[in-house]
Amino acid sequence: MSIVAFLNMFGRDKDEPTAVTADDRLSLVLSFQRSDIDEKKIKMFRTRLIELCDEFGYDVVGHVEVIPQAKERTTIINASIPVRLKEPI
Amino acid sequence: MNHRSMAITVTSGKGGVGKSTTVASLGLGLAQLGYKVCLVDTDIGLRKLDLMLGLENRIVYDLVDVIEGVCQLRQSLVRHKEFPELALLPAAQTRYKEEVSPDQLTAVVDELRKEFDYILIDSPAGIEGGFRNAIAPADRAILVVNPEIPSVRDSDRVIGLLEAANVKHIDLVVNRVQPGMVRDGDMLSVERVQSHLAISLLGVVPEDKRIIRSSNTGEPVILDAKSMAGKAFSNIARRIAGEDVPFLELEETNLITKIKRLFSIA
Repeated sequence: MSIVAFLNMFGRDKDEPTAVTADDRLSLVLSFQRSDIDEKKIKMFRTRLIELCDEFGYDVVGHVEVIPQAKERTTIINASIPVRLKEPI
Repeated sequence: MNHRSMAITVTSGKGGVGKSTTVASLGLGLAQLGYKVCLVDTDIGLRKLDLMLGLENRIVYDLVDVIEGVCQLRQSLVRHKEFPELALLPAAQTRYKEEVSPDQLTAVVDELRKEFDYILIDSPAGIEGGFRNAIAPADRAILVVNPEIPSVRDSDRVIGLLEAANVKHIDLVVNRVQPGMVRDGDMLSVERVQSHLAISLLGVVPEDKRIIRSSNTGEPVILDAKSMAGKAFSNIARRIAGEDVPFLELEETNLITKIKRLFSIA
């Protein structure tokens, strides 16, 4: 047995759950369905947000999170973008 | 009865959530209140309502026979033995859903409106042709949902389709609720399900082993005086009829349960 296979037995290589609670997962599932959002679209959205930050004079200094949430019959796209003002050159 | 006849489609999207159980019990509940009720089984090829009501041996004609002009509408109706105010228009068991169109079903329901106060339409699972037939004549819809993610997601899709079909009055029945699991965080709460779907709550039905017995014996659970689910269906029927009925307290509140909960063993 390879080392990787051995580690997989302990779940080291498993995907992280998409949400912790059933309610959060449902919210995510519904927002994906209602807004026709998928992982690819979210990735593109994230890339564009980083470009937009650059355009407005900010450096992105951490992980950008884009999380759609269902609230009643509306989808809210929450984006968390850690930024810092660009250093003047 | 002096009110306008109403056609209500009971649907869900996902199968196995308790649509036919709900239709059978609500039909009897409304008949017990004195209304003339017709249940229409639109699950052509996979009919169930006849079994739920114990009427399977009395079917001569079915919905497809009516549409094809093989018989008169009144000849196809099977009256309940104890509650003659309740009639069933059975689905054909050896035909296909595609053999009926939304317009044809609407015409049949319009004919039923002349005699009945309530027409409850049991929709097949899924969102294909059978579902589209079932919602075509609806004045309003009841969405039966189990408190689990696959059921809620399907229901959310069905709400969109109902709204697109101009069925604006949609009520929610949350079925098979287990308060203990909700308390332990293992099941979605009714409040969360309703909040996500954002439609009005018509009723909450607890999980009840007596429902299995009732579908096997052909006596809807609403006739079982000891059943909490039966009581819940009875309350829903009264709410449909316009009564203001408080929701059932599903949590067991007897002394032993309270003591067990105190010591975290319930």
